[in-house]
Amino acid sequence: MRVAAPGALPQARLDGGSGAAVIEVGQLTKRFGAVTAADRLSFRVGAGTVTGFLGPNGAGKTTTLRMLLGLVRPDCGQATIWGKRYAELGDRRRAVGAVLEACGLHPGRTVRDQLWVRCAAAGIARSRADAVLEVTGLAGLAGRRAGSLSLGERQRLGLAAALLGDPEVLILDEPGNGLDPAGVAWLRGFLRQLAGEGRTVLVSSHLLAEVAQTAGQVIVIDHGRLISAGPVSQLTTGQAVVVRTPRAAELRSALAAGGAAVRELADGRLEITGAGTEQVATLAAARGLPIFEISEQAGSLEDAFLTLTGAERRPG
Amino acid sequence: MSATLRAEFLKLLTTRTAAGLAGLAVAVTALIATLESATAGTGRGMAIPSLATSAGLRDALASTGFALIIAAVLGTVITAGEFRHKTATGTYLDQPDRNRVLAAKAIAATAAGILVGLAASATATGIGLGFAAARGYPLALPAATIARYGAGAVLGAGLLAAAGAGAGSLIRHQIGAVIAVFAWGFAVELVVGGTATAVAPYLPYTAAALMAGVTSGGGMPPIPRGVTALPFPAAGAVLAGVAVLLAAAAAAAAVRRDIT
Repeated sequence: MRVAAPGALPQARLDGGSGAAVIEVGQLTKRFGAVTAADRLSFRVGAGTVTGFLGPNGAGKTTTLRMLLGLVRPDCGQATIWGKRYAELGDRRRAVGAVLEACGLHPGRTVRDQLWVRCAAAGIARSRADAVLEVTGLAGLAGRRAGSLSLGERQRLGLAAALLGDPEVLILDEPGNGLDPAGVAWLRGFLRQLAGEGRTVLVSSHLLAEVAQTAGQVIVIDHGRLISAGPVSQLTTGQAVVVRTPRAAELRSALAAGGAAVRELADGRLEITGAGTEQVATLAAARGLPIFEISEQAGSLEDAFLTLTGAERRPG
Repeated sequence: MSATLRAEFLKLLTTRTAAGLAGLAVAVTALIATLESATAGTGRGMAIPSLATSAGLRDALASTGFALIIAAVLGTVITAGEFRHKTATGTYLDQPDRNRVLAAKAIAATAAGILVGLAASATATGIGLGFAAARGYPLALPAATIARYGAGAVLGAGLLAAAGAGAGSLIRHQIGAVIAVFAWGFAVELVVGGTATAVAPYLPYTAAALMAGVTSGGGMPPIPRGVTALPFPAAGAVLAGVAVLLAAAAAAAAVRRDIT
């Protein structure tokens, strides 16, 4: 896991299993007046991975995904899928499926008709509509008008539309929005199934717990800049080291002198951030301080996210 | 292109909007034609001359003014409606070439407008001729003239719908676009045509209305006195020019603008 130093503009590469980059974003920049939605943003997503795309509200996630899909023109930089801009992809609906947060449905059109329109536009056989309705659990609602669907059902319909071309790459913007707990559980299984089929999935979400359970990799952005990228397991581990020693005061001062932050827990143990297990153990050994217990305290993805983006310090 | 065009036609057929607007156009045309025919020659109502006269029969047959403006509204809804319902995202994901999408929409709008014009013209002609026959009047207009009015309504509605599609794509806000179309038909052309009669035949709604033989309004304000109709081909060319101009402006804007 690499975390960008303030001011630095790292290029993140998430290779996943195969090492081949499917999605490449390079120096992508987009400004809307005074607001910078993407600021020289660069990352790569490897084939066959489920990658969470995280950031606080207004971080630039949706704009980045829209630039990747050719809906928003970047001011500079590029975003490609298999080395090509979205518009240049051959048979793009079979290559890429997308659900965008604001991807709309005509309220007067039936569920099946929504999909038939997309089939017609993409040159896909109508029989695929029934297949994806079955997969997304909407077969019973095929004749209902979209205006009468719940938000969760609309999200499922968006996923169904994205799957029409049986795409190898799925780009999903907040697909869990509006889903009830059962729907969230369904989405979790659904994303796992997609990953199991070897598809590449880039999914933006603010449901961090869900991302932690489904994504193997995460990209964290804030203010349009890359904050961090790497495997979820690295992001959620090693955030703090907990030590039990009879000479806590001495260890505390030695660690503080080395720049680590130390906090005494209620049971007398020390919680250290800013230094790894090896550093703490080495320092204690050098000073002859006995250690009865030392462990890495794994943080949640949410903790890591809040720490990286500083979101907990922001109002609202 | 064919896939995009197929999708545009399917969009029209799978919602009630197009059928609703066409139904509205036919209903208002039927109402106007019936009122004009029933009161023609009586001095009551709209003071239409008798259906036994060419002026009276023309006014009854050419009750398609409102249908023409509805055709333009239908065109705006075809493009601006995509932004109202946020379906533009899916449309441009399926076909990222924005010029192709606009061309398909313009073609679909033209076809839908032609159907609206055809239905309205058939309705007005049927009612006008029906009333004239019921009263035992001889046909006061040559068949070629009646056919020209019909063709004018059909062509005019088709091209106004295409122009509406261009306007809707430029404005994007559906309600704003529809208001703009009505304001243009009810106010702008009325004021400009009333003050500059030489310019009036070159204004899109007036050109289409005169092609269809509309003078008394047909649900719209009457064509200002003193305005002379352009020859049929010239009026058609004016309308086609407006539609192409708006389509070109819409295409230039669409390539630059983001789909958000």
